[in-house]
Amino acid sequence: MAILCLGVFLHLVPIYIVVITSLKSSAEVLHFPPTWFPREPTLAAWRLAVDLNYRDNPVALRLLDRPMYVFFLNSAFIATMTLVIGIPITSFAAYANSKLQRGAIARWSFIFFIGTLMMPTALTLIPSYLLTRNWPFALPQAPLIPGSDMAFPSVRIWDTPWAVILPTAFSAFNFLLFKGFFDTIPDSIIQAARVDGGSEFNIFRRIVLPLSIPVYAVAVWTLFASSWDEFLWPLIVLQSPEKIPMSAEIWLLLDKFLGAGTTNAGAAAAQAKQMQQVMSAGLSWNGLMVLAVLQSLPIFIVFVLAREYLLKGIQIRGLK
Amino acid sequence: MASAQAEVTLARSGARTDETAVAVPRQSRRRRLETGLFVLPAVLFQLCWGWYPLIAAFLLSFTNARVRSPIAFTGLDSYLRMWHDPLAIQAFRVTALYAGLTILLTFVVPIIVAILLMEMPRHAIRWMMLLWFIPLSVLASTLVFRYMYNTQYGIFQWVATEILHLPPQPFLNSASQVNFWIVFPGLLFFGPGLIYIATLQGIPRSYYEAAEIEGASFWRKVWTISIPRLRPVISMLLIFSIIGSAQAFELQQIMTDGGPGGASRTVVLYLYTLLQDLRFADATVLGVYLFLGVMAIVAIYRLLVNDDPDAPTRRRWFGLSRPSGTPVHDAGAASATGTADGAQRREQPGV
Repeated sequence: MAILCLGVFLHLVPIYIVVITSLKSSAEVLHFPPTWFPREPTLAAWRLAVDLNYRDNPVALRLLDRPMYVFFLNSAFIATMTLVIGIPITSFAAYANSKLQRGAIARWSFIFFIGTLMMPTALTLIPSYLLTRNWPFALPQAPLIPGSDMAFPSVRIWDTPWAVILPTAFSAFNFLLFKGFFDTIPDSIIQAARVDGGSEFNIFRRIVLPLSIPVYAVAVWTLFASSWDEFLWPLIVLQSPEKIPMSAEIWLLLDKFLGAGTTNAGAAAAQAKQMQQVMSAGLSWNGLMVLAVLQSLPIFIVFVLAREYLLKGIQIRGLK
Repeated sequence: MASAQAEVTLARSGARTDETAVAVPRQSRRRRLETGLFVLPAVLFQLCWGWYPLIAAFLLSFTNARVRSPIAFTGLDSYLRMWHDPLAIQAFRVTALYAGLTILLTFVVPIIVAILLMEMPRHAIRWMMLLWFIPLSVLASTLVFRYMYNTQYGIFQWVATEILHLPPQPFLNSASQVNFWIVFPGLLFFGPGLIYIATLQGIPRSYYEAAEIEGASFWRKVWTISIPRLRPVISMLLIFSIIGSAQAFELQQIMTDGGPGGASRTVVLYLYTLLQDLRFADATVLGVYLFLGVMAIVAIYRLLVNDDPDAPTRRRWFGLSRPSGTPVHDAGAASATGTADGAQRREQPGV
């Protein structure tokens, strides 16, 4: 119907704007009224993005501390590790909760796993931050061993990528997704497999796993997208500039470029200076749009891959 | 095997079947060991990064949480301080306004669109879904909106002045309107809800055909078949929306960084500011207040709307008792939670 077509069209408008803005020149980007098609399409912004990858390029040095690909690799590492660790953990737990556990244990562990979904993540922000500094103590400093001057031994994962990976590995939302799906698999299939013998893990691997490909595809995609886009938590736990992921870097650039409102004059002046710096380095909205494209590209690729598996899985199951 | 044992136990004791278990058979040790191994990593992670920080947050809020000097127990000091903090009060007001606007404007549309979408022929659904769900990273799309909202050269300004011939609008720079404009892209660039589509796919065609034979119009079919089926999902997603919009952070941070003079500074944004100022105890207390507020709203909602199919299955479904693990007829691709169960059971009286 008409409404649906309108919706699809409107939805594509931002994508269109991102692409054409990245092709505009710096001056045209600021032009009013905004042009729907670049008057003189130029690859200047894209060239800037490529320049940002070179270590000794003067532009790059002014804008970033490191070549852009460093941040990209950081993001890639964090996202991959989150997937590699998180998906198996979450799906195993969901399978156990759905098929292997029974009775009161199943109910309580269900609450245990998804209870934190109801809590605002803001609440756990600070203790988690402190935890990354002195694991396992969620305190600003490890307490002293009573009767001596030494502090308890503690592990510091702060300022390493693991501080970003480990807390986000288990996702309660994915747990719900997996459990909901495993619940729809008839028990009889599992019972039949048990009669044939073999460990539970083998049953899971041989029978349940091939059936669950669509759900794994959806879970992989959601976890990847949320991990790739995350910028608040990495900014909190990562301090060295060369370790932050690309999403956080884009945010920092945007912050420098736009210098949002502050309440005191000193900070405002500093921001104005930063903005000058950024503009003189040639970065304007077109450059930011290029970065936006680069940020979205991996998510898009993973989406396409996930869709492949989603559809293939549905065919295997013989649905629809 | 275990199930045979269970049946014997049942027959012998004549026990009433509880909703969830078939008389909880004693599983073999090997089974229990394997179950334990399956859940162990997740338990460790969830315990360490989920529950422990939560409990630590409550404990921390009663101290002064200094980073360098030793920590001291201060009791309710921080709580009182934050209760009277004008910035915190403003943050809560802003968050309530934003949550209200979001749910009012953007919650209902995906439902309607999903219902309309399912009426289209199959191939149309497929390409529409593809186009609609081309993902743009959240960061990227917020960036685009920021660009479009610029008062000098943004597209929205162009629409306002050239097409609608209004005076130049301040958009994100207006303290009174900023929250509306933050919500607006969600309304303008609408799309169907994936979960609604999945649930609607699970409704057998025969229901609609039966209704058509009875002479039901399109909207009547929607009202009597689709909506009751969607009710548990809608309920669950409404709760998630409330919880999610109460924690709004990224949208505000990227679009306005707290807006003109804090007009769009949500609670989490303010919490982040406190964090940067190293006021850890105050920040944690703010988080506790947020949590309590959200819980209160959810509790009130649950009291008012007595529709609770996705709670851990403790209730007895009179006349419909069966263990929760048994298969329900095809619930469509990847229905997100066990609410498909509730949906299937609920539709009996609804239709």
